[in-house]
Amino acid sequence: MASRPGEGKTPMDPVSRSTLIGMGRELIGHPMRDADIDELVDPKLGIITGFQALLDQLESLRRIDLGALPPAQGVRRRPREECGS
Amino acid sequence: LKSDAGLAYATIETIADGLSSGAFSAQDLVEFYLDRIARYDAGFHAFIEVTADRARDQARQIAATRPDGILAGIPFASKDMFDVSGVATTGGSRVTMNHIATRDAEVIRRMCEAGALSLGKLNLHEFAYGATGENPYFGTCPNPYDRTRMAGGSSSGSATAVACGFVPCAFGTDTGGSVRAPAALCGLVGLKPTLGRVSTRGVMPYSWSLDHIGIFARSVEDAAVLLETVAGLDPEDPASSNEPVDDYLKAVRDGRSLNGITLGVPRAFFFDHVDPEIVAATEAVIATLERAGARVIDVAFPSMEHTRTVSLTVQMPEALSYHARYLDSRGDLYGDDFRAGLALGQCIPAEHYVRAKRLITDYRNHVDRIFDACDAVVTPSTPVIAPRLGAVSVPCGAAAEPVGNAITRFTSFFNMTGHPAITVPSGMHSAGLPIGVQVIARPFEESLMMRVAATAMTAIPVPDFETDGSHGAIAIDPSSPDGALGVRRPHIEHIAPTQTG
Repeated sequence: MASRPGEGKTPMDPVSRSTLIGMGRELIGHPMRDADIDELVDPKLGIITGFQALLDQLESLRRIDLGALPPAQGVRRRPREECGS
Repeated sequence: LKSDAGLAYATIETIADGLSSGAFSAQDLVEFYLDRIARYDAGFHAFIEVTADRARDQARQIAATRPDGILAGIPFASKDMFDVSGVATTGGSRVTMNHIATRDAEVIRRMCEAGALSLGKLNLHEFAYGATGENPYFGTCPNPYDRTRMAGGSSSGSATAVACGFVPCAFGTDTGGSVRAPAALCGLVGLKPTLGRVSTRGVMPYSWSLDHIGIFARSVEDAAVLLETVAGLDPEDPASSNEPVDDYLKAVRDGRSLNGITLGVPRAFFFDHVDPEIVAATEAVIATLERAGARVIDVAFPSMEHTRTVSLTVQMPEALSYHARYLDSRGDLYGDDFRAGLALGQCIPAEHYVRAKRLITDYRNHVDRIFDACDAVVTPSTPVIAPRLGAVSVPCGAAAEPVGNAITRFTSFFNMTGHPAITVPSGMHSAGLPIGVQVIARPFEESLMMRVAATAMTAIPVPDFETDGSHGAIAIDPSSPDGALGVRRPHIEHIAPTQTG
C-alpha cells in the first residue's frame, strides 16, 4: 500500500535569508536583489505571503494524495444531462 | 454637453439612444469625455495614454458611415495590457514603455469593428500583479468615492475611469479578481467570463492558465452587450472556445423571473470574517432573488484555506516565465513588489507548480458537483470595503491578512476553476463606499448568470444621496438616468480641475 505523501518525513527547517542568498548564487538563473530576498523573508509590501508561510502551506498541500488526477486543462460546457439540477 | 454630468454616468443603452435620436454625435461624445478626462484625471491617474486623435478619427468615420449597432459611436478604454495599434503597451511598467503595438488585440478589434471608439489606455498595478492597484511610476488610482482609499486592482484605471464617468465602459484582465474586486470597490458591474470565452490574443500575459479578459460597465445589460461583441472563437488564440455565443442582452431582458432557478449559498468561508454590512447587503440580495422566484439552498465548497496559495503557485512561475526575457537586461526597472513576486516564482519547485495544477482539477470537479445541485452561486464579492491607500494588511478575525489576499479572497478561486463570475453593486457601506455581490454559474452559462445578477441589482434601494468623496451627502434626483439605476455615483465634479491626488 502506498504511503501518504510526506509520511515519516522529518519536518523542514524554516527557510533563512542565507539559504535564499545561496539559491540566488548557486541554483537560480535570474538575479535576486537584497530587497527581493528581504521581501520573501519578511514581507512588508502587502501583496504576497512570506516565502516561509507559502512553503508551510505547500507542505500541507503536498500531503493530499491526488492519486492519478491530471493537471487542469481547458474548461468545457457540461451537457445538461450531466448536471443534476 | 460639457456640463452634463448625468451623461457621464449614463449607461451605454442611454448614450446609444442619444446617438440614434440625434441629440448628440459620436464626435460630440468624444469631445465630452476628453474634456472630463482633461479636467479631472490628474487627480485619479486612470489613463496612462489618451488616444484622442485615434478616437476623433474613428468618430468622424462613424458620423460618415452611420453603422448599425448599439456600440456604434460609444467610447471605451482598455487596461494597458491590451495592444492598440500604434500605441505603447506598457503593462503599467517602465520595463515595456517602448513596446509599440503593431496590431489591435482581438478584443479591441472586435469592439472597433462594432463601431466603438478606443479612447485610450488605462492604469494598473504593474503587469497586473497586485490587487491594490498601486503603481509607483504612473501613480496610484484613488477610489472615486473616497480618495483616501484604494480603487483596487489590478485593473485600477479601468474601474476608476468608468466610476469617474471618463468612459461608459472599459476592459481589464482578471487573473485572481483583478476586474471583479476593483469593480466591487468602485460600485460597478465587473464580469469575468468563462475561461476561453473571450480571446486573449494581443493581451500581455500575466499567468496564461489563469488570465481572463474582463468587462467594466454600469449595468448588467451593458455588460451583456459588450460580452456578446467580444466573445467567441478566435482561431489565433489556441485557448479560445468554439462554444456558440448567446444573445446575452435578450437573456437579461427576458429573464427577470427566476422561477425554476436554484441558487447555492456557501455559508462557510464566504461569510466568515466579512464586514457585517457586506454580509447584510448580501443577505438582502439573496432575499430579493428568492422573492423573484429562485430557490435558495446551502452549498459547501472544498476546503478554501489554501486556495490562494494554489493560485500563487501557478501565477508566479508563469509570470516569471514570461518576464524572463526582460529580467536580466531591464530588471532594475521593475517595481519592488513585482520583483519580489518574480523572485518568489524562482523559488517554487516545479513539483509544487504541477501539484497546484492538479489541485485545480480537483477544485473543478468539486465545483461541478456543487452545480449538480444548483444553477448559480451567490457570495459577497469582497470581504472588506476599499482599504486605505498604503495599507498592507486588514484585520481578519484576530489575525491580520495581507491586503492583496483580502481583496481577492472570494474571487481568485473562480479563475482557477474557470467558471464565469460577475460582481454587481449590492449597496453602500456606512463609510460611504460601495459593496458588491458576486454571482457564479456553470461554464458558458453567462446568460443565466447575468439574469441572476440583473435581478440582484434590483435589491439596491433607489438612492436618495450620493457620496461627495469625503463621506458627505449630496441630494440627487432619483429620477435621473443614473439614479434610476439604483447606483450612487461618486460625484467627482466638486474636485478642482487638474487637482492631483
